[in-house]
Order: sequence, then C-alpha cells, then structure tokens
Amino acid sequence: MDDKKQIKFILNIAVLALICVFLWWGNDNLSSFYIRILNLSAIFVILGISMNLVLGFTGMFSLGHSGFMCIGAYVASILTMSPASKEIIYFMEPITPILAQIQWPIFPAIIMAGVVAALFGFLVGIPALRLRDDYLAIATLGFAEIIRIIVTNTITITNGALGLKNIPSVKSMWVYWGIAIITIIILKKIVNSSWGYSFKAIRDNEIAAEAMGINLFSHKLLSFSIGAFFAGIAGALMAFLITSVDPTMFRFTFTFQILLIVVLGGMGSLTGSVISAVAITILMEVLRVVEEPINFFGLLQIPGLPGMRMVIFALGLLLVILYYRQGLMGTREFNWDYILNKIDSFRKRGASM
Amino acid sequence: MLGIKKRYITIVALIVAVSMFAVGCGGGAEQGADTDKEQAADVIKIGVYEPLTGTNAAGGQMTVEGIELANKLYPEVLGKKVELFIVDNKSEKQEAANAVERLIGKEKVNVIIGSYGSSLAMAGGPVALDAKVPVIGCSPTNPAVTLDNDFYFRVCFIDPFQGTVMSNYATGQLGAKTAAIIQDVQQDYSVGLSSYFEKAFKATNGDTAIVAKVNYNTGDKDFSAQLTEVKSKNPDVIFAPGNFLECGILVAKARELGINVPILGGDTWEAEEFLNQVTQYKDIYFSTHFTAEEPVTQVSTTFLDEFKNEYPDKEVNAFAALGFDTYILALDAMERAGSADSQAIRDALAETKDFQGATGIITLDINGDATKTAVIKKVADGKFVYETKVDPQ
Repeated sequence: MDDKKQIKFILNIAVLALICVFLWWGNDNLSSFYIRILNLSAIFVILGISMNLVLGFTGMFSLGHSGFMCIGAYVASILTMSPASKEIIYFMEPITPILAQIQWPIFPAIIMAGVVAALFGFLVGIPALRLRDDYLAIATLGFAEIIRIIVTNTITITNGALGLKNIPSVKSMWVYWGIAIITIIILKKIVNSSWGYSFKAIRDNEIAAEAMGINLFSHKLLSFSIGAFFAGIAGALMAFLITSVDPTMFRFTFTFQILLIVVLGGMGSLTGSVISAVAITILMEVLRVVEEPINFFGLLQIPGLPGMRMVIFALGLLLVILYYRQGLMGTREFNWDYILNKIDSFRKRGASM
Repeated sequence: MLGIKKRYITIVALIVAVSMFAVGCGGGAEQGADTDKEQAADVIKIGVYEPLTGTNAAGGQMTVEGIELANKLYPEVLGKKVELFIVDNKSEKQEAANAVERLIGKEKVNVIIGSYGSSLAMAGGPVALDAKVPVIGCSPTNPAVTLDNDFYFRVCFIDPFQGTVMSNYATGQLGAKTAAIIQDVQQDYSVGLSSYFEKAFKATNGDTAIVAKVNYNTGDKDFSAQLTEVKSKNPDVIFAPGNFLECGILVAKARELGINVPILGGDTWEAEEFLNQVTQYKDIYFSTHFTAEEPVTQVSTTFLDEFKNEYPDKEVNAFAALGFDTYILALDAMERAGSADSQAIRDALAETKDFQGATGIITLDINGDATKTAVIKKVADGKFVYETKVDPQ
C-alpha cells in the first residue's frame, strides 16, 4: 500500500512539473492565436466546473451564471483601468469621482471581482433559493437579465451602452491556467469535504438530506455563492483576455454555452467539465473547416455554410441526451487508483499466462 | 496530506493530456497554413469577420453580400487577385477576438473588414492593434470602437453624430423647442442614441427642453402608460430610437392616442416590419446611412445597378452598401499606398479624404471615423421616402 502511495505521489509531482514545463514552453513558443484559444479554454474550465458545482453536485438548476460573470468583468475592469484611460472612455458622462482614481493591480482585482460576485450570489440566493427546479431557473435567468439592464443604465459607473475598453491586457498562460488549476483544486476539495457530501445528498433527495440533519437552505446558499464567486473570477479573466466589456456580452445565451459544457462533460463530474470545456473551445476553432467552401477534387463544389459548427454541436448534444444521458464522464472522476489497478491486473494476467 | 493531494492532482493530469493534444493539432494546422501561404504568395488577402450566426446574423449577412458583390466587381488590386477570407464570429465577443486572431495568425491577411455590432468590433480591435493590421468597420456605430486605436477605421457615422443629426433636424427643420424621449432600457443602442440626442438637444434648446424621458423594455407590446405620460407633457417632437418591432407598435399606438407630433428614430427603423405597422401614418422620420432613391455619388449608381443584378429578390439595404464601401476603400488605400503591406495600408487609410463611396463622400477624421452625409427618410404613402441629406458641420 505504501508503495502505491509513493507511486501516486511521484506521478502527481511529475504531472505538475509537466504542466509547468508546458506553460513555460507555450508562453514563448506558441503563436498568440493558440495561446488565446488555450486561455479561453481555461476560462471555460472555471465556468464549467463552477456551474457544475451548483448544477451537477447540488442539483440546483440555476441559469444566472452570465450575470455573475458580468459583475466580475465590470468590477475587475473598473478597478484596473488607468485613470487616464477612464477619462477618455467615459466621455458621455464622467465616471463617479470615487472610482476615477482607483487603479489596482491585476490579482487583487480578480479576487475582488469574485468577492463582489459572491456577495450578489448570496443576496440573490436568499430569495431565489426558496424556489426549486424550473422556477429557480426562471428566477436566476431573470436576475442575469436585470444585471445586464442595470449595467446598461448606470452610465456614471459602467459607462452604459458604450462599454469599457483599454482594460489592461493579460496574455500569459500562467495567469489563466494557474487560476483554473487552483479553482479545480479548491472545488475538488469542497466536493470531497463533508460540505460536498451534503451537496450531493441534497441533489439526490432533499427530504432524505433534511432528515439526516442537513440544513438545506444554508448548504444551497453556500454552493450558490461559491459558484457565483468563481463565475465572477472567470468574468474578470474574460475582461483581461478580450480587453473590452459591454452589456451585450453577457446575454443569457452565454449561460447556455456553459450549460452545454456541463451536460456534455457529465453533471457531477469535475473531470468531465474540464475535458468538455477544453474540447469544446478547441473544436469550435478546429471545426471552422466545415464552414469553409469545400472542393472535392474539382468535381463537386460546396459553398461555405456559416453555422455548420453549431449543427455539429447540436447533433452531439442530441446524441448525448438520447443515448448517453450521463454525459462524457457521468459522475466519475479521473483517478490514479483506477489506472494503477488496470496496469496491475494487466501485469498479473501477463504473469499467469 | 498525500491522500488529499492525490485526488485533485489527478485532474491536472488530464488537462496536460488535453493541452498536449491541442498543441499537437495546432502544430499540424500551422504547417498547413505555411504551405498555403507559399502557394498564394501573389494573392492579396482580405479578412472579413462578421456575425453570420447568432443574434446579429441578419446584419452580418447583409454586409457580407455587399462585400462579396464588391469583390466580384473589383477582383484585383495592384495586379494581384484579391482573396476574401470570411469567418463567422457567432455574434459573440470572445469568438470575434478569436476570429481576428485567426485571420491574422493563420490566414495572414493584409487588411480586415468588420464587424456589424459594435460590441464585436470592440473585441476584435485590440487584437488587430497588437498585430498592427488595419481594420475597416462597416457598421459599428459605437464611438468607443475607434477610440484610442490607430488601426481601426470605419465608413459609417457614429451614434453621437446620428443623435446630433436628429436633434438638429428636429430644431432646424421641424422647429421643435421641446422633445420627449422614449427609450428601450434593455438595448444599448437605444439608451446610447437617446443620450446623444438629449445632449445635443439640450445644448441648442436649453436644459429644460427635454420634457419627458420614459422607458420601456424589449418585448413590450403595450405602451399606453408611457405614451399617456408623454402626451400630458405635450412635446414638440418625440425621439424614440429602438428595435423596429417595438417601435412599430409604439408609433402606431401614439397616433391612435392622438399624439400627432413628429416622431423621430434611428437607422434600425429601416425595416419592412416597421413600415407595415405605420403605413397609414405620417410625420415619422429617421436617420440612415444610405438611400436608393437619391444616389449620392457615381459609385452609388454602380452599386444600385449591380446589386439588383446580383440579388434580384433582395431589397437594397444600407448594410450591404456599407460593406461594399469598406471593400472598395480597402482597395483604394492599397492603390494609394502602392503596396499591400499592413502598415502602408494603415497610413493610406488614415489619409482618406473625399473618398467616393456608395453611401456618400467619406473623409476619415483623426479618430478614424467617417465624416459623411447622413440621410433622413420619412414614412409617406406607405413607404420610406427620402427626405433630406444632412452634411456634417
């Protein structure tokens, strides 16, 4: 047994080292296009697993993710923009004096974005989490729209319809993947803590969970706020990646994109969400090929059809829902034990033969 | 300690695997692009990023039709063939940034055209600026798009100009002293245009000139409450920019309630759906980019004729005309620069003066925004009728 532990420890160290080497190599050698795609997948990883915590592990059908992202993106942008560019951008109506001179470094701003989003999550959660299922979905969807409308109309804070630009640009993969990995680690810890077991109990049967002495409301609120916290962080990262934010960016269709990641990856599997977030983001670019005009050896010419990518994803989603309900990973997670056992049994079989 | 660690680090392993896979794919693709580039050394590449799917798809498609038409008419520049690379940005910001990054990094385009939807253009702008590739916008009207970005230009006028034009028209032509604003608080376009109008109208008519500012939401069908309030304030004109759908209902309702003052709007009103609602009414004015009735330049005539040949079943629209203009402006800049080098194109674009486009005579100012004529149309006899041109002052 000790042997196995040691092997796993070495494996873990090796994996971490490999990631560091890859990030270090990638930052210098990959073209900015690939770095951008990888950074975007890191953001979708954070979004996917944080939504999975709420939806897959606690069983709350919440569609407010884009609203929390919106809050995070605006908080981070306003905190990090330089006073000079604020003066240029807010040309319709000047920014509130309190915010005009503020300029924070990137990391505190990202944390603050998460904290503010979590605070909103907490406040919205108090009334909304008394609802269940479809009603909760409608209430949270409404909340996300309200946020968007408030942002459009509070011109002295958010610059309204004009949006914000000249947000400091962050290109390093260390930041995006570093935060994504920390998020994975934290959520993995939460899911395997006694809190996590309570979440899963609530998901599986609320009445039974309550009978076991779990405080439904406080657990739901906790899960919801944690989800909002990480959505806020992802929103902040999105702002630093794109360097401009505006109210039309966080329409509810954005939430559905995250939902696609969660459902395809498997509700209740962090591993699944991570894989599907990365795969979908990369495939979205790779599949552009199907939208280009295709020429079969000069015999047959097919004009490019925009939207074919979406058709492929839609078909994939249909197939998953019809034949593979639990998604890519179901509720399983990746672990070394499984792989080591496989290798062991393979070896034993080899020896006995 | 080890036990806990094991659980999470396992996931990390997968990320590495997937990233490796991604790099593998990426590497392959890059090689492919390189060979393509060698084959096509004597081709000039123009990248186009437009929303062809998603919420803004209609506008994006109209624009692309205009660009393709221009490409068909003028397929060559500097003795080389022009190749269009059209990519879809799904009406999403992160996709728009990816699309521009792709056009620059993979297709190695010389100049980029796009995008309908200011939000999308704002996402693509910084990427192009970093790579120093010039972009010409066809219809992003938000002033922030070109602000502080030396590589972004546009052939359309901007929202403040549109708001100012309508305000000047209301004061000058319609003799208005007071105005009411009815805005859709959910649409950034509507809120933005309203505030520009308000600013300009207050500047000419005093701070109390806006007698009412009322709100509604996208999807509303009943506007009696808002209109009753407006009616009680008795304004000389009403400014109500917004979606054609809601505005159609709103304008018709206003007339039913006996509000007979002129009602003004923005370029989104130029739609069949709007016209159907308000056919029997008059004194409805809006600003737009282009008119088919009164060709502004020689190029307008060419565009109109060719558009009718190419798309006989389609209505000529401003977005196609703007797309057409962006393309010919890009070619013109290359000819003036005498090269297809991105920096040279940018410098030539920055000096654009009195350029003859289908939508008017375009001069690019220091921000890269077009100073050009706006067209005002009105509803009369059940159709949109050209009313007047407003020149930039």
